[in-house]
Formats: sequence, C-alpha cells, structure tokens
Amino acid sequence: MLIRWKIVVLVAALALALSTLSSRNTATAAAPQAPAPAKVVRAANPAPGGALSIPDTTLAINSPTPMSQRVVHYEIDAKYDAGKHTVDATEVLTYHNLTGQALDHFPFHLYLNGFQPKATWVSEAKLIGNRDTSYAKWEDKEYGSEEIKSFEVVGQGDLTKDLRFIAPDDGNQDDKTVVDLRVPKPIAPGAYVQFKIAFHDQMPETQARTGWRRDFVLGGQWFPKVGVWWQGAWNCHQFHAMTEFFADFGVFDVKLTVPQNEVVGASGVLVEEKSNPDNTKTFTYHGDDIHDFAWTASPRYKVKDDGVFQGQMGPVKLRFLMQPAHWDQAERHERIIRETLDRFEKWYGPYPYKTLTVVDPEPDSAAGGMEYPTFITGGTSWFAPKGSTEEPEGVLEHEFGHQYWYGMVATNEFEDAWMDEGINSYTEVKVLSSILGSYTSVLNIAGITAGDIEQQRLFFISVANVDPIAQKGYEYADYNSYGGITYGKTASVLLTLEGIIGEDTMAKAMHVYFMKYRFTHPTKEDFLKTIEEVSGKNLRWYFDQAVYGSQVMDYSVMRVDSFPVNWSEQKEQGFGSKKEDKNTVYRSTVWLHRKDDFVMPVEVEIRFSNGEKIREHWDGKSRWTKFSYEKKAKVESAELDPDHTVQIDRNNFNNSFVVEANTKPTYKLSNYWVFLTQLMSLVLAWWAV
Amino acid sequence: MTENKGLLGSGLGMVMRNKRYIVWLWLLDLLLTIYGTSAFREAAHTVLDHSLYSEKLLHGFDLSVMVELFARPEFGPMIAVTSPAIYFAIMFFLATALFLPGIFQGYASTYRLPREDFFRACGRNLWRFIRLMIVAGIVMGIFAGILFSINGAVVKKAGESTNELLPFRLQMIGLAVIFLVMTTLRIWFDLAEADIVLSDQRAVRKSIWAGLRHTFRNLGRLLASYVVATIVAAIILVGGLWVWIRFVPSESIFRAFILAQFILFLLLIPRFWQRGVAVSYWQQKMMVPVVTVQPPTPQPIAPPPAPVASEPLPTSPAPEATPIP
Repeated sequence: MLIRWKIVVLVAALALALSTLSSRNTATAAAPQAPAPAKVVRAANPAPGGALSIPDTTLAINSPTPMSQRVVHYEIDAKYDAGKHTVDATEVLTYHNLTGQALDHFPFHLYLNGFQPKATWVSEAKLIGNRDTSYAKWEDKEYGSEEIKSFEVVGQGDLTKDLRFIAPDDGNQDDKTVVDLRVPKPIAPGAYVQFKIAFHDQMPETQARTGWRRDFVLGGQWFPKVGVWWQGAWNCHQFHAMTEFFADFGVFDVKLTVPQNEVVGASGVLVEEKSNPDNTKTFTYHGDDIHDFAWTASPRYKVKDDGVFQGQMGPVKLRFLMQPAHWDQAERHERIIRETLDRFEKWYGPYPYKTLTVVDPEPDSAAGGMEYPTFITGGTSWFAPKGSTEEPEGVLEHEFGHQYWYGMVATNEFEDAWMDEGINSYTEVKVLSSILGSYTSVLNIAGITAGDIEQQRLFFISVANVDPIAQKGYEYADYNSYGGITYGKTASVLLTLEGIIGEDTMAKAMHVYFMKYRFTHPTKEDFLKTIEEVSGKNLRWYFDQAVYGSQVMDYSVMRVDSFPVNWSEQKEQGFGSKKEDKNTVYRSTVWLHRKDDFVMPVEVEIRFSNGEKIREHWDGKSRWTKFSYEKKAKVESAELDPDHTVQIDRNNFNNSFVVEANTKPTYKLSNYWVFLTQLMSLVLAWWAV
Repeated sequence: MTENKGLLGSGLGMVMRNKRYIVWLWLLDLLLTIYGTSAFREAAHTVLDHSLYSEKLLHGFDLSVMVELFARPEFGPMIAVTSPAIYFAIMFFLATALFLPGIFQGYASTYRLPREDFFRACGRNLWRFIRLMIVAGIVMGIFAGILFSINGAVVKKAGESTNELLPFRLQMIGLAVIFLVMTTLRIWFDLAEADIVLSDQRAVRKSIWAGLRHTFRNLGRLLASYVVATIVAAIILVGGLWVWIRFVPSESIFRAFILAQFILFLLLIPRFWQRGVAVSYWQQKMMVPVVTVQPPTPQPIAPPPAPVASEPLPTSPAPEATPIP
C-alpha cells in the first residue's frame, strides 16, 4: 500500500514538475505594460461538437500574456432576487483536459448545499464547532441550496439525469456538496469539453462567508465548480465545516443582474454596466488567471474608488465598499492595504491584477474576513479606536495576504490548510510588525500592548499537542485545534525557522517559493524543499517534528546554583566567620531541562554578578544538561533563547531564571487585581445596600 | 434647585463631618481585598518572580504575557483566584450593611456619635436591615430583570435594522432608563433605611411604605441629587484612571497603588453623599415631630406664705403642643 502510494506521488510529482516548468515560462513577465488585446487560443485537440478554447485574455492583469495554465473558462449569466435571496443562472464551463489522460467523469462542487441540516458541513459545525455558526437550533433562514436545473455536455446531450451525488470523504448520503457526472464519451487528453448548466441558488443567511444579511449579500461559492485534477486524480472534497476551497485557474466572464438600487463589487474588472427595463441593472465582469469568482451587493455601500496603487507590474485600482457607519475609516482601510501591498511586492513578488476590491461587510454578519481572488472582505465596527488594530488593519492585511497564499499560490485548502492560512499568518506577523511594531501590532492602548507574534503563539500553545500541522483540514480534532495549529502553529514554526536559517534567508526562500509556484497548486513538500534549497540546509529534523509531528517544545532553566569553592574551609572556621569578598571564587552551575519531546538546539546566556555574560550552545538531545564555572562572581541569571527567536516553546516563563527574585511584576499585576476587586466591592455595595 | 442645593449641601456636610466612616470602610475594603487576592498574588509569585519574561509586565504591559500567565497550569485555574476575591467582595457588602445603621445614626446626630451608640444602632437594626434588604433585593431584582429583558429584546430587534448605530444608541438609552429606575428604587430603600434607623422603626413595612411615599412625592428633587452624586463618581473614576495612565510610570508600583487607593477612597464618598442626602431629606420631610410636653417646673417648697390677700398665686406655664403636619 505504501509502495503504490509512493509510485503515485512520484508520477504526480513528475507531471506537476513538467506542468510547473511550462507555466513558469509564462509567469516571468514583470514589466508594466498596457493590456494586450484579447486573444483566443485554438484547441490543439478540440472536443467533439465544435472548436472550443480557453480565452487568452489579459484584460484583468498587468501582463501581456496569461500568467497561469488556464484550465477553465466560466461564463455565467446570473440574476439575483434580493427579496428571496436567490440566484438563477446559466453557466457555460469550458474545461481543457490537461491531465494527460482521458477523463470519463467530472466531479463538481455544489458548496451551498452544505447549509442543510443533514449535510456534512452543518453536522460537523454542530459537533466540533465553527468560526461563526453554533447551531443551537436549526433555523430555516440558515438553509442554503444549489440546485442544478439542467446539465448538458455539449456534443453529448442533456445528462441531468446522470448526475450522482457522492460523498468521497465521509460517505454521508445526505451530503449534496459534490455531484459527479460520468460522460458517455470520455474527453481525450488535451481536448476541451463544454458544460452548459442551469442552476438555482438559495443563499443562506450569512454562513462561512457567503449569503445574505439584511439587505446585503455576499456571493461566495455560489456556482457549480469543477474539481481539480491533482496528483493523478480528481480532487473534489465535500464541503466541511473547517475547510475552504480548491480550484483551477482560468478565465471568468460573469454577468450579474441585480435590482437597480444595488451597489455591486466583484472579482476581476468591470467591463460593462447597463440598466434594464425591468428596474434592474446588469454588471459584466471579467477575470483572468483566477480560480474563483465572488461578488457582493448592498444598496447602502459607500464607495471609495479613487485610489490607485502603482505596482511593479502596473497600476492596481483600489475599490473600497464601505458601510455608511464606517465611512470615516475608509482612509484607514486604504492605508493598510497600500502598506501591505507595498511590502508584499517588495518581499514576495508582484501583484499582477489590475484591481483589488475591498468589502467592508454587513456588521454582525458571517461575511467578514474572507478572501476571494482580487476581492476580499474585511471587518470593523463603528467604534474602532486607532490603537486597536486587530480590526480593521489585522483582518485586512490577512485577507490581502491570501491574494498570494491561496489566490496565486493556489494550494489545496482542503488538505493543506496550513499552506494558505498558516503561511499567510506568518507573513501577517511580518507585515504587521513592519507597519505597526512587533509588540504593538494588535493592541496599543493606554500602555497596554499586544503583538501579532505573541498572539499567534498563544493561539498555538492553547492546543499545542493535539494535532500536527500536516493534516487534512477536516481531520482536526475540533475547530480550536484546526485554528490553533493551521494558523498559530504554522506562523510560530516559520518564525522559529527564521532563527535557524536566518531572517534574510527565510525572506529569500519565501520570495523564491512565491515566484516559483505562483499560479500553480504546490504541495507541502514543494514549500519545505524550497526552504531547504534556498538555505542549503537539511531541515528534516525540524520539519519532521514541527510540521509532520505533534511534538511540543518546553525547555527550562531547571536550577541555578553558586557557592564558594572553599566552602568546606569556611565550615571548619565556622560559617560566617569569613565574609565573602570580591576575591571569593564561586563554583556556579546552571542546569537546563528539556521538559517535552521536541528536540532542538538552543542557546543559553548566563550572566554573572561582575557583569560578564557567557553564551553556551546545547543540542537538546539529552533530557538535561549543566554548565559549570569557577569565577570570582556568582551567576545572576540564565536565559534560554536570549535572542528570542524561538516562538514554539509552550512556556516562556521558565526559559529564564533570575537568582534574586524580582517581585515587582507580581505586585504590579496584583495592584491591578486589588483595584478591580475593590471596585467590584464598591459597585456591589453601591447598589445592593 | 435651591432645595436641591440644600439636600446636596447638607448631605455632603454630613459626609464631611463623619469622614471617619469612609476611612474605616475604605480600610475594611482594602483589608478584605488583600486577603481575597492573596491566592492570586501567591500564584503569580510562583511564576513571575524568577523569570526575565515577566519584565514585559513591568516595563509597559504586554497583554499576551498576562494571558500566558493565566493559562499556565502552575498558576492554577482562574476560578481558584477569582472566587476568593468575589467572596471577600460579598463580605464587604455584608459589612457595609451591618455598619450602615450606625452611619445613619451618626449622620443624623448633631454631635460626634459615641462608639457605643454607633454599634448599638448597628446591632439594634441588624435584623430590620436584613428584612429590608430581602425586600429590596426582590423588588430591585424583579425590576432589573424586567428592564434588562426589555432592553435586550429592543436591542435585538434593533439589530435587524440597517442602521448600525441604532442598537448601540438604544442600548445606551435603555441603560440610562434602567439606571434612573434603579436609582429611584435605591432612593426608596435608602429613605426606608434612614427611617428604620432614625425613627427606630420596628415595623419595617411602615418604613418601606414611608420611603415609597416620599420617593414619589419628591422624586425630581431626590433623583437629581442622586444623579449628581453618581456623575461625580463617574468623573472620579474616569479622571483617576486618566491620571493613572497619563502620569504614573509603568514601573512605579507604589505610586500606582497609592493613586488606585485614592481613587477608591474618593469613590466611596458619592454613595455616602447619597445616604447623607437621604438622612437630610428624612430630617426635613419624614421626621415625625414629637409632641413635647414641658413638665411643670418644680417649685421649691416654700415656707407657708404670709397671708397677703391682695397678690395672685404663681402658676406653671401651659404645655405647648406642636401640631402634627
């Protein structure tokens, strides 16, 4: 079983390497140029029934040629009924078979069917939690559906009746989030096939960053989307409560018809807007080299679209759709987006798209903090003090980061959630620290501070030994573990890696990884090997524990001791008979302890009472070690990881030991506690008697 | 307004003349809290005292370090350190209830109330106060429950509105209304407390009815006085915290402690000011004047008068009666 699996991986890796090489040739253009006129690539081996193709357009990107290997072309004509929260649409999907083999069946995601009481998504959310839905009871407004009205394969007729729901992950017969179609005539390698689908969506009240809330709607995961042929097989997972998405790159041409009063934003560039006689209007959007398409509408958005960011590949038009009560934060939104874009371009690579739409979603909705290609949702409230930057700055930075880690480096979010959320959390720490300060990037009010670097670590250590990083997103123990490991642990592990290979080397590795794997679907090993290649180091010992294992790190300074070398003579003379002076020689010993199972070399800095500092290296392989000295000074303190590069130690308090107790921090904290307790007493006594 | 000034002024005067009560209660609160927070302190000593990491709490205040501290197993569960603090807060509340009759007596007194009289008042009214507190707890609990439920429902309904600020504004309005209603109830029971002590009223129900009657008879005047005192308390708290943040260095534990205690000491004043207002009002409006009958002046036994037929005999003055209002 293991050997067969390795062969499959080997073949898939070979195929992926070949496809990467071919796509990389088209992905190196960086000079800003005017968009080239749309071209159409002829099919080398057209499917039966006509000459099909994927457009070669570059209307939505600052590149004269396509940047991805385009597999799909979605043409969708949709009408949104704001009263019923429904979408009626037709979809023409042209698929280019680049799998190297004939395809006789095609799985499709119908994500909105996840929002049904017996669906896997809802069952899991009820059982193990979810970011924004608790399901204390089922309410009809939470119901969502995606119903295929008709399904035609061009040249093979109407195959609606041949659609079969499948549940490849858990066998749940009531889950309808994946539908499979077996085609009578297999699609040859290199050929195109076209599907014509009519579908009807019932949007739920916002869940998992899609749906409606009041008069707002966010259209995410709203159309039938074909799975990805990846590593030699179809990859089309059911919709799970903790997982996100995976799709192929291509071209999107989407017509959206909405009521006349709606303000609309969407992925890609707006090509046309026209009013219709029935008091509606139709927006036409076009997207290049993206793998998903999302849109939003609300009659109350206030729009700020006068900003342009001068990117490395060309101008990027920034469009902000703000809630009226947050209009005074529009500048704040734009500032953080500009600063984030600036750092991503400098550190990782260019942003090639011509637009970025930033949506400030409906308050109190489950639509905030989400990424779609060239389209993100943030989140804030009318009360957002400037020193409290988790929202909007933190969330906007994070969601923009996904344009790189998911949008362009399109990893499999079902199976490798850490590669989008975790890597993005790492770059979030780097970018936010650069903009807002390492220890103030989350909070800086009234002398109380918090940094993202520590927030990620705390997120991780709360679930440190539950799951490994390298695990399918839907197989985590629960939502806390999923979040703490994929986001917090990955960020902490990569920050710690900086200390091992150097911050500059890590930055270079991230740049190389982005440039090499943008517009592809890399695996975890692609990422890890890139780091090894760039650093020139074998890091398996680290990855095996930190990425593939669930080992936990907890090093401590176990004990510190100093006593005069001639203590026995003192005893003969009677204790206290000879005072210790500056010529007294002390034997000092520092014990270090590896309390848990993560093995890693560490530095320790020992300070002596004469001001001397000594740094020692410990490989950490044994459970404990000790360092002894004979000096005319006592040990004052010992500190593990004195440069504070390790972010995965679950207990930072025991990483150091100061011989002479410093009670000030305790009394400061205690003073706060006393004050709060007394205040509580006064309030109680105020009202109760 | 003049009347208000009168109530506020006389109430504050009572507080100022009897500052020792506030000092003692502040000390009591501090001592109880020091006991109540000792578990917290000991737990923190264990983790923080020998660690360089704890410096992040001293120089500035890194919230992450505090969160990590609370999560450490050796610090113990939060409930273990919060529970004693809550219990001691309840003890302070009970102690306040115990000493309050003496304080009322002291406020009403025109002279420095002797310690024996203070404690006599406390003991004499203990059971009456317990009964009153039970009634007050039931009434205030019912009102608070109903009002907070209504407020919650209104805010929830407003949450469906497309006006994002509406729920917050309604919440604030609702809280203001709840504050006024609860303050009104507090006035009622403060007057009842004053009446119990100062009238030496055994029948608590009579004082409750008297308190209710007078609360609504002079609601505007009393409510204004109580609201003014509450505003002063809010100013003390906000201003004190501002001074703390602005002027006390992060590393200065002693100055922070002194300022914190000063804020808490000052915060005791407004509530006792309200009680002073209640006593002052009681004296002005609720006190039932006693019909005093001046006893006849004892006359010295005089030797039998010499028979002087032309002079009338001396008589004692007639008693003066004050009409009951």
